[in-house]
Amino acid sequence: MALTDAEVARYARQLLLPGMGEAAQEALRDARIRVTGGGLSVAPATYYLAAAGVGTLWFDDPDEVKPEAGAGFALGPDDLGRPRGAALAGFARWASGLVTADLFRPGSRPTALLVCGSSPDVSRAIADEARLLQLPHVVADVDGQGGAVTSVPVGSPCYSCATRPGLGGAPTADGGATVGSLAALELILLLTGASQEPRARRIEVFRGTPLVRATARQPGCACAGPVAAGLAP
Amino acid sequence: MSARVPSARLDIRAHTCPVTWVKARIALSRIAEGEVLEVLLRDGEPRENVPRSAEEDGHRVIRLEPAPEEGEGTWRVWLARGAPVEERTWP
Repeated sequence: MALTDAEVARYARQLLLPGMGEAAQEALRDARIRVTGGGLSVAPATYYLAAAGVGTLWFDDPDEVKPEAGAGFALGPDDLGRPRGAALAGFARWASGLVTADLFRPGSRPTALLVCGSSPDVSRAIADEARLLQLPHVVADVDGQGGAVTSVPVGSPCYSCATRPGLGGAPTADGGATVGSLAALELILLLTGASQEPRARRIEVFRGTPLVRATARQPGCACAGPVAAGLAP
Repeated sequence: MSARVPSARLDIRAHTCPVTWVKARIALSRIAEGEVLEVLLRDGEPRENVPRSAEEDGHRVIRLEPAPEEGEGTWRVWLARGAPVEERTWP
């Protein structure tokens, strides 16, 4: 379905960006993103995905909002005690009146995942699930020096192949904002095809400086199996 | 002046920048290369910017004239769709 007048007006400046256009904007509108995890990157990523015109955001985060909640500026005092996923859905709707935002429910069929786990182990488990479901996904990791964003198109080297130990340290809000916004952009590029560059890559941010590298499959990794070859059901 | 007949028509008089050019760009993407889009626009910023943006995007302006019969301050521009310019890409 063609963009409505309201959508053209809302996304006019974005529609003029390199690689963007009506088809790319429609792809965003048709996307259904499962947003998992409650790390510091989830709020900025949510904001940018909603503002960019992603049609549906489903939040998969059953934890309650606590005073030390890792969702940054998105959640306020009124959200304390609420399920964090529901609070983030409300934040997404605040960011854009054109987005459908709700809790992720069994049976929902996302077209891609954004993983904002609170630790690499949590992220790895969710990323593996996405890989087995053959869904493109982007993983945002925040650490004490910044963090990293890993883009995993279907069939490409998996998150585990791409990951290398970070510098550790307690995640910071600054790192969450940087990594979250980069993760949203990487997912938008995956969904729209707005870039001709290979998208299987990892962006590591160290004190504000990004380093981009293509990811490579590690020998013997399970991601080289039938799922990568498109043979799995 | 070209003898070609527009294959599509777009009225953007109710819009302001950047929606004016965005709507024209979308309309151009829906016609074939070489076909002509007729655009009705207001004098001033739209008349200056839409034809210029079209040329920057690889299209051709083949007519630009006042169209008072369409309403006071209305201009008509015919844009022939060109081959897409080489797309800039994201890093």
